[in-house]
Amino acid sequence: MKKLFLLLNVLVLTTTLLAQTSLRGTIVDANKQAIVGATVTLANQDISTTTNNAGVFTLLYLEPQDEEVIIEADGYIATIELVQLHANQANDMGEVVLQKDIAREAQEEILLNLSEEDLNDDEGRSQAQASASSASQDVFNSLSSFAWSTARYRNRGYEQTAEQNYINGINFNSAERGQFNFSSMGGLNDASRNKEVVNPLEATNFGFGGLGNSTNYLMEASRFAQGWKVGVAGTNRNYKARVNATYASGVLANGWAFVGQVALRFSPYIDQKNIIGEGIQYYSGGYFFAAEKKWNNGNRLSFVTFGSPTERGQSAAVTQEVYDLTGSIYYNPYWGYQNGKVRNSRVVKSYDPTAIVNYDWKIDEHNLLKFAVGYHYSMYSNSALNFYNAPDPRPDYYRNLPSFLWDGQIVDSNSAQLFDPNENHYNYGNFIGADLNGVGLGMGSIGHDEQWIGPSVNAAQYNHLVDLWQSRDDATTQINWNDIYAANLANNYNNPDGSARYVLERRHNDIQEAMVNIHYTNTKVNHLKITAGLEGKFSQGIHYKSVDDLLGANQWIDVDPFADRDIKELATNAGLSQEDIENVKKNDIASDYNDVKHDGDRFGYDYRINMGTLKVWAQNEWSFNDVDFYYALQLSYSSMQRTTNMINGRAWYLAQLNPDQAALYLGNQADEIIAGAQSGTLHTGATYMGASHHFVDPSFKLGATYKINGRNRLKVNALAQTIAPLARDAYISPRVHDRALYNIYQHDNATSLAEYYAASEKVVGADLTYEFNYPIVRGRLTGFYTQFWDGSELNGYYDDEARTFVNQALSGIDRRHMGIEAAVAVKLGTYFTLTGATSVGDYRYTSNAMAITSAENGMALSQDNNKMPVFELRDEVLLKGLKVATGPQVNASLKLSFFHPKMWFADVTVSYYDWNYLSVAPSRRMKGLFTGVRADGTPVNGWYGDSFANAIETTDGGNCLRTTDANGFPANAVLDANGVPVLKYPYNILSMQESLAATNPLNRFIIDASVGKLIYLKNRQSLSINLSVTNLTNNTHFKTGGYQQARLPRLTRQGVDDSQNSVISPNAWKFPSKYYYAWGANFFLSLTYKF
Amino acid sequence: MKRYYSIISAFAISSLIVAMVGCNPAPLTEADVFTNSDAVAAMLQPGDSIYHLNDFVATFMTEQGNFLSDSTPYRTRATNGDGIYLFSLDTIPTDTIGIYIRGRVSTDDYGGNFYKSIVIQEIVDGEQQNLRLSVDIGSANGLYQMGQELLIRCNGFSIGRYGDQPQLCVPSYNNNTYASSANQKIGWMPGRIPNGMFRNATTLIGTPAPEKLQYDTITIADYINVTNETEMRKMDGRLVVLKNVYFTGQYEYNGLNPCNTNSPEIDKYANVFAPTTQNVGHPQSRVISDGKNTTLVSNSEYSKFAYFYLPGADSTGIANCANYVGTVTGVLGQFRDNAQYAHDQYDWSITPRNIKINSVCDINDIVMFHKETGEPWVPQEYKK
Repeated sequence: MKKLFLLLNVLVLTTTLLAQTSLRGTIVDANKQAIVGATVTLANQDISTTTNNAGVFTLLYLEPQDEEVIIEADGYIATIELVQLHANQANDMGEVVLQKDIAREAQEEILLNLSEEDLNDDEGRSQAQASASSASQDVFNSLSSFAWSTARYRNRGYEQTAEQNYINGINFNSAERGQFNFSSMGGLNDASRNKEVVNPLEATNFGFGGLGNSTNYLMEASRFAQGWKVGVAGTNRNYKARVNATYASGVLANGWAFVGQVALRFSPYIDQKNIIGEGIQYYSGGYFFAAEKKWNNGNRLSFVTFGSPTERGQSAAVTQEVYDLTGSIYYNPYWGYQNGKVRNSRVVKSYDPTAIVNYDWKIDEHNLLKFAVGYHYSMYSNSALNFYNAPDPRPDYYRNLPSFLWDGQIVDSNSAQLFDPNENHYNYGNFIGADLNGVGLGMGSIGHDEQWIGPSVNAAQYNHLVDLWQSRDDATTQINWNDIYAANLANNYNNPDGSARYVLERRHNDIQEAMVNIHYTNTKVNHLKITAGLEGKFSQGIHYKSVDDLLGANQWIDVDPFADRDIKELATNAGLSQEDIENVKKNDIASDYNDVKHDGDRFGYDYRINMGTLKVWAQNEWSFNDVDFYYALQLSYSSMQRTTNMINGRAWYLAQLNPDQAALYLGNQADEIIAGAQSGTLHTGATYMGASHHFVDPSFKLGATYKINGRNRLKVNALAQTIAPLARDAYISPRVHDRALYNIYQHDNATSLAEYYAASEKVVGADLTYEFNYPIVRGRLTGFYTQFWDGSELNGYYDDEARTFVNQALSGIDRRHMGIEAAVAVKLGTYFTLTGATSVGDYRYTSNAMAITSAENGMALSQDNNKMPVFELRDEVLLKGLKVATGPQVNASLKLSFFHPKMWFADVTVSYYDWNYLSVAPSRRMKGLFTGVRADGTPVNGWYGDSFANAIETTDGGNCLRTTDANGFPANAVLDANGVPVLKYPYNILSMQESLAATNPLNRFIIDASVGKLIYLKNRQSLSINLSVTNLTNNTHFKTGGYQQARLPRLTRQGVDDSQNSVISPNAWKFPSKYYYAWGANFFLSLTYKF
Repeated sequence: MKRYYSIISAFAISSLIVAMVGCNPAPLTEADVFTNSDAVAAMLQPGDSIYHLNDFVATFMTEQGNFLSDSTPYRTRATNGDGIYLFSLDTIPTDTIGIYIRGRVSTDDYGGNFYKSIVIQEIVDGEQQNLRLSVDIGSANGLYQMGQELLIRCNGFSIGRYGDQPQLCVPSYNNNTYASSANQKIGWMPGRIPNGMFRNATTLIGTPAPEKLQYDTITIADYINVTNETEMRKMDGRLVVLKNVYFTGQYEYNGLNPCNTNSPEIDKYANVFAPTTQNVGHPQSRVISDGKNTTLVSNSEYSKFAYFYLPGADSTGIANCANYVGTVTGVLGQFRDNAQYAHDQYDWSITPRNIKINSVCDINDIVMFHKETGEPWVPQEYKK
């Protein structure tokens, strides 16, 4: 019976096949090699399929009519073929040749390169790239991801943590920092070329996805075309040259496939100032190897390993004054001459060896189970100069700049003492005659608010210092290695057993992660695709400092300099004995006081954060003729626990001060540590466990696509989730103690749901998209709206009033991101395409935040009304209404591309950016600064609003700072003789958010161009040549980002009543903002030979 | 297969090149960073001269100061008709003829008593000559360490006077209307030389040799009554040792008064070296005696040992102070903050560089022993 049924079935099928209208074809590349996985869509009937291993596709049950066949494949130019489908026939298109999208290939090359180059700051927060990847068929993404990278555009204004990055199905976003480390695949352009990218909020097949793009890098060996590929490239960016070679075996007859790539990128030190990459050396190797076995039953085993050991110098953002003095946006304060050779003080060493094993088990036609395990050990460290009892070695340290000579030199002209009765004029003497803008001030100018200004030294001295800067005097404008060595060598005479004056330390931020993935797909039910997954990850962040170079000294003694300075407070406030005080100064109380450190020794701090995450998710995707829809749910468990191998003296001190809270600082073994310190039985190197924190967070996602017809679609997607705090933001002072954010304890001891989610960020987001696709024109229009609640963030800075380094933990940050994205591509004849894309957004804070500020060295920061020491300052940060500083909120590009079938391409892109804002320092927006009283009721010492300067009033319900006074002048601004504010550099001390957009609108444009040619040689060999020039017009006025210095300038006034009065100084030059500029014209030239 | 080898070898060669150029420059040695004393003469241009410190002051410092000399030379603070001024400023020519001074650093700022101030010592015919350098460099002694000989090109700097203390400086505008005796201070005064300028003018000669510093053992009587200009010049900045002295447990304010046992955080008359001034910042003085005369030991409230009890003092008081007798070493200074007062013996004080409270610094300028038991004095910090 069964057999009969089968036979019947076959018969029916065959007849149907014969009787039905069908279409088949073979998709190949220029070398007649089959293209696997190309998408073939019939535009009018809205039916699509993909090609098989032989590049063949077949579509059945078609309507006989004229059809547009859209053929798309990653890395190739999409092609539209017109066919006439004859009724009840097997129509055959024959071979369709797709041309390589060489322009895109060239761009991705540069993009990959960009995404790691900008990892400039220590914490990796400023990694510029929103995403080094894009969905290739999406007009918006293909333009925005490349062209807008110069301006540091971020997808919908989100932080990088919103982008989910997978490699072979495993999520590689760091559990600690939440973001993907692009430099782990540095230089491995071929290895990272294959990928699937899903737009924000849409259904994702390899994971749950998230708010931003989700990208899955596909590195299985079978995906690489057989043959050799050798490339050389030259550029004038941070590295100057690259060579790379890839070999792929293709899928061999036995089902195995192998691929390997090696790459080298390098730049030696180039002894030339004012060039891109000034003072930067760059050496990077890279390897990639993958093997894969495919069985006939569809099962697959794949192994991938890669890594790119890199050593590179860094550069820094500096203040506008320094850019102006040196006359260059490329000035880099991190390097200096040593023995006549360039040496950078900040050298990053990174290496992320990674290995991934995948096994796909095809249970049957409808059930696929995928297993993956991965491991990587990310080593990341950077060097920096540390100093003890010696001058700050940074050339751009504020005290070394001409502007510092203006410090406090604003004189109250109403003072009778200023008037010189003998000379019958004001005693302004030799104040210089011009301000920093070059505008004449007169001999000591009367500014706004009857204030007189001038530098503290006379004009000759001032001009001398300016000359040293303008002429780029080596000893003044660069790290002075001579002085550093001299200080250490001299110290060897005076204090042979003493601590080095300077040391080059290496700050290690390693992370190791082991991951397990199970992924299940079921297509048994008609119209329904079920995917479900389990992602498990164990991560350990490893943080310590080591001695990189003693710079001629005998040893470094590991004592906290700030604690050393503030010791008298320990006795007077805490009543500690001398012995105890010696303990407090130590970074490891188990060590001896004179614990000397030599090259390679660990010191300072040595802690780990263990993190576990387990995510389970499931997704149902339904597809019907007119409508597709999906919904997905994820539950995410995460935990974090800090462990330390050093018991910091300040942690121990805080535990002494607050005996009932000792465990908050010292962790689970607080009693043991305190007893051990008392009996002197602590020994170095032991590991002490901190409290662990656990979170369970749900996420829910859904979306629908309404297919109006084959050419027009409407999509709607939404997401709601809570996100546990990242470990990087969870600890108040992780180098010192175990104390976490206040909200986390609220969560740990929760008795209600609201308390349980007190520490988690809540997100609700949705978007609506209209897509169209016609032969001549295609594009999309999207609107999006996302609201975040209760975000948290950790900042650290030097506090001028407390004269020590403080940590500031922010919580309760609410943000709203909304905007539109639009893109359209129009074919202009045979050779040209015009593409336009724009993203206009409004990303802003919708609430104020709460800040807890505490000193890293454990000292009291203030006194309360009863003159009792206050160790934690709690205050509100006035953020509401400010813009989120994640790149330009207006981005627009127009691109004209030329493509000739003889494999020439060229394009030129004009981009405009606006609404880009400076990142705000919360310390400058503390409520207490404006009202004299912090949110916790404690008074602010030296409130700004005393008679010395006017208080800044707040309007808008206390949320928006007033920046102009009654006469329309910027509040507290000093004006030059022409009535123009002199505050060019700092904008203002406490101010509205500064716009980074260039003053001259023309400088908000960036023009890029590229040209390339692919030459096919005999025997399937080819040579491609690409030249890409970014910022063709050499616009050097384009600020890509920057930040306000958190440090507030303060002025100590000797009180009339013999007491000190510390107020915010009106010297706006003291700690102005720092900026990043986009590089001027730069090129990337590459040659690739395939054989 | 052959072409694979060539690719592999190309990589091997490039890796080697990368490895070779990837090294840091060779470490600097003493020869790279310290100028040999014999090479100093070769650094000078024809016409340049190195002045002895006293000659330098005598040559360039005038009574009234030449700053603002485009009109009539006058003392910087020319406001008051009675002609008593606190500051003077004379600029040193910026022309090409080099004006150099040379001396050995005799101070150290680790202890916190010398803030942005360096004293250099030159031995001429066996006698000390000293000059204060006012520099805007925090922890300046990190670079200019005690015992380090310096050659300084003074062109463009100024020689100024704060009260009767000469110092190498730059003109600086003082606008602190809240200062005491502000009417004598508002205006141009001796200011600190910016870091970059001082560094560019200074050469390190040889390696530090603190053992070459000369310490003159003198008595309190030798200096407390000095008001003569020439004699003052000999004493101010001089590195001296006072022997057989003891702390009396007193401070000086309209006469000598006993210190109390209050918290140094609150009371500036507490029995420690330097209680708080509520951050006004002036040095705090405590009285020592050699049995015949008294003088002041001057310390900063920011010094590392500010809140340490005076030798013999403790939470019960000062009764035991006179039992600890010993040696106080330091730099002599004559400080006046109000030019209108007559000179007083307590204008003079001795500033120790540091005392040994921990193992980080080896300088120990206050060494005392119990006069009966011979037990050394062990510094103890005030405790709540």
